[in-house]
Amino acid sequence: MTPFHDYFGISWYVYLLIWSFIAIGAHVYQVGFIVKLIRLGKNDDRFNSWKQRMKEFLTDWLGQRKVVEDKVAGYAHALIFWGFLMLVTDVIDLGTGGLFAELLGMLFLENIWNLIVDIGYLMAGIGILAALYRRLILRPEKLKNTSMEGVLILFAILGIVITAFIVEAGYMLGEENHYNSWEPIGVVFAKQMQNIDSNTLQTIIDLSYWIHMILIGGFLIEIPQTKHSHLIGTIPNVMFQDHEKMGTMLPLQVDENDIAVKTDDLDFENMTLGVNKFEDFTWRQLSDGWACTACARCQDVCPAYNSGKELNPMQIIMDVKNYGREHGNLLLAGETPEETIVDRFSPEAIWACTTCYACVNACPVHIEHVPKLTDTRRHLVMEASEFPEELQNLFNNLERNSNPWGLGAHTRADWAEGLNLKIGEPAEYLFYVGCAGSFDERNKNVSRSTAKLLKAAGVDFSILGEMEMCNGDPARRAGNEFLFQMMAEMNVDSMNSLGTLKVITACPHCFHTIGKEYEKYGGKYEVYHHSQILNELRQKEKIKINNFENKVTFHDPCYLGRIGGETEAPREALGGELIEMERSKEKSFCCGGGGARIWMEEDADKRVNEIRAKEAVNTGADCIAVGCPFCMTMMSDGLKTLGEEQRTVKDISEIMLENLEA
Amino acid sequence: MNIAVLIKMVPDTESKLEVSAGELNDQNFKYMVNPYDEFAVEQAVQFKEAEGGKVTLLSLFSENNSIDTDLRKMLAIGADEIIVLRQNDYRGDRPLANAKILSEAIKELDVDLILCGIQGIDYYQAATGTMVAQMLNMPNISGVTSLEFNSGTLKAKRQIEGGLQVIETSTPAVITCQKDMNKVRFPALKDIMMSKRKPFENKNVDSVDSNDVATTESSLPPARDSGEIIEGETAEEKVDKLIEKLKMEAKVI
Repeated sequence: MTPFHDYFGISWYVYLLIWSFIAIGAHVYQVGFIVKLIRLGKNDDRFNSWKQRMKEFLTDWLGQRKVVEDKVAGYAHALIFWGFLMLVTDVIDLGTGGLFAELLGMLFLENIWNLIVDIGYLMAGIGILAALYRRLILRPEKLKNTSMEGVLILFAILGIVITAFIVEAGYMLGEENHYNSWEPIGVVFAKQMQNIDSNTLQTIIDLSYWIHMILIGGFLIEIPQTKHSHLIGTIPNVMFQDHEKMGTMLPLQVDENDIAVKTDDLDFENMTLGVNKFEDFTWRQLSDGWACTACARCQDVCPAYNSGKELNPMQIIMDVKNYGREHGNLLLAGETPEETIVDRFSPEAIWACTTCYACVNACPVHIEHVPKLTDTRRHLVMEASEFPEELQNLFNNLERNSNPWGLGAHTRADWAEGLNLKIGEPAEYLFYVGCAGSFDERNKNVSRSTAKLLKAAGVDFSILGEMEMCNGDPARRAGNEFLFQMMAEMNVDSMNSLGTLKVITACPHCFHTIGKEYEKYGGKYEVYHHSQILNELRQKEKIKINNFENKVTFHDPCYLGRIGGETEAPREALGGELIEMERSKEKSFCCGGGGARIWMEEDADKRVNEIRAKEAVNTGADCIAVGCPFCMTMMSDGLKTLGEEQRTVKDISEIMLENLEA
Repeated sequence: MNIAVLIKMVPDTESKLEVSAGELNDQNFKYMVNPYDEFAVEQAVQFKEAEGGKVTLLSLFSENNSIDTDLRKMLAIGADEIIVLRQNDYRGDRPLANAKILSEAIKELDVDLILCGIQGIDYYQAATGTMVAQMLNMPNISGVTSLEFNSGTLKAKRQIEGGLQVIETSTPAVITCQKDMNKVRFPALKDIMMSKRKPFENKNVDSVDSNDVATTESSLPPARDSGEIIEGETAEEKVDKLIEKLKMEAKVI
């Protein structure tokens, strides 16, 4: 029994043709509109390393690698996704009144195809039920206050699955019943329906068929309008994911070899500084909006959002898409809407980001949140000159005395007094101390501890002394790319003139910037975090360190762990049994100091460091080990506000020095 | 309205101070625009934006130091040109001699208003601006915290102990600017780039005779004794120890 017959004297396929024309037409029109919008974006050549991209596409898109990191929602999604991939050809079969199956029958593929489709519907069905269970019964916190769209769509696709089984069962029923064991679920349905009288049965099958087709067509029309645009949007997003090292930023201008154009030769006439218009983004930045599934994983891990600030990384991605949709006609006409991108994001949100990359790391579809915020910061600083007042001091201090505090550049090496270090001389390693290690009282002790351990191990190293400058990261993350570049160029000059090849630093921001960003400014070095070198010295027994005995937890700095990819060396360097925090290693939660946030005001009731300090306190540890000068400051302050000053914050090197065997 | 702003280049506040044989060693000084003068530039640019005209920066400095980068920042925030008078034996602590040279240079400019900071943060003499006014025979208001210009009249406000004084004068006049007169803007990058194309002129000037008082000796303030942190188990114990010390050692209570 099939639904393929005349209705009101007109053949079924006339109705279907009309509906298909409307649904597919509306779908194609809308997708075309989105593609045109995305093509407004600037060039970003990611059409390379195809082999790697194909592999990533297979694991991340087809394999759902990051999707399943969230166990319930992830596997429910994977079932629906794989199920629909398996069943999608059934639409062609139902749309052609069974011709597709007949064609496959000629190739002797019909049975296996039937089985695949049947299992596909079953997997999708199970996935949908699990997802509904999560949305309606489990109701995780982040799903409250979200629209009913998700639930409605789940019911709609559940309808698609159930009606498919009914139509499938219909095939098996008639004057004689032929149960097709290649469609096991269909058989189950058919068995339930076999005793229904044939008129009613015909009506049920007809209704099911048309509901099925209406839902599919409706879904096609709906896809481009909502978060379900991710069905299409994730394909380019995953395929053209970022191949640069995590956390690296784009220079103002690059030459044909991807090397930054020197500050003196920058072509300011033909350069947009940062982003304030839709078309200032690259196409890949724009495509993110339509790939977003609103899964809110970025929101869950964002330190700004979780401390109650304006910023929600997911909203930023939605903002780009909604801006494009709402102003689409104007934008495509080449005009500029009155509302700007900065207006849409809001300056408060833009300045709240710590650039910790937790959002980027959490996203299952490779959305790049942080560059959108740092790009708008570039606009606000270099073009509009509108930014938090505190940053003006930061910039002036960096320009005048090349450190964020504006302390006399000639006092940079004062911490090393009495240690008898090589200053400005060639050596195997350059110990790049950084500003905090040079000027901040608490962090000077970290520099001294590190230097003492290196000396104890007989490592040949020198420091730059007064020649050293800030690596430029605070200026850069705060949007002052030009100042960053000037500092980078001067530092590269100093380091190259010393013949530097290997660098040690106790600051993850120096570690990241000098190690991963300076190459584009002419400086190629092997850069090590001090924990990596100290660990190697410990393992090779160049220094004898006893395991610590008290209760210690380790707070992974963002730019060492998640962004730097180093989570083991600090642990091994410390030795002993660490008590781990719930969020650790690449899932570590920012101290709140990154992205130049440490130089900006933070409302007392919205402090990131308190959240993290509380997590550390909850482990029961007496000492929080850190590997970053900003974490040192933020965690110490956090403990103070919590009234937990009896617990200490110490750098890895300090704990090692305490346990050094004399 | 054409405005001249007098700029003094002063040692960066974080410069290393070294004294040898009663003489200040200025060999390693880095120089910056006197912060009070920055308020004057900002005010001049605001007037220019409202009234039109030109802002000329005039500075007197020695021959051997590179001060271009920092001075050019003043062009980036909106001034139009710079004239630096280079003098072989320039010193920052001779206001009378310096005022003579500056006022002669101003006579060559066609300006309606002269602005400068109330004092330089090198010697804090607060003299040059007022002397320039005297030499040019112009009205002078010093230490102004707020300045308005309306149809030819300047209205200046001065913060005085416990009150506010309002003074009006016609132009041309010399105004010396007190801190917090305005908020000095941060130049956008394109303004910094544009500033590189603005005129920057160096002129040599000769020394002049003056009866400025001379510095006889320079010295650094005596090093402070290091403080003492009072140790103790409880807050009460620490307070008791502190009171004891205040009574017995410091003898202040």
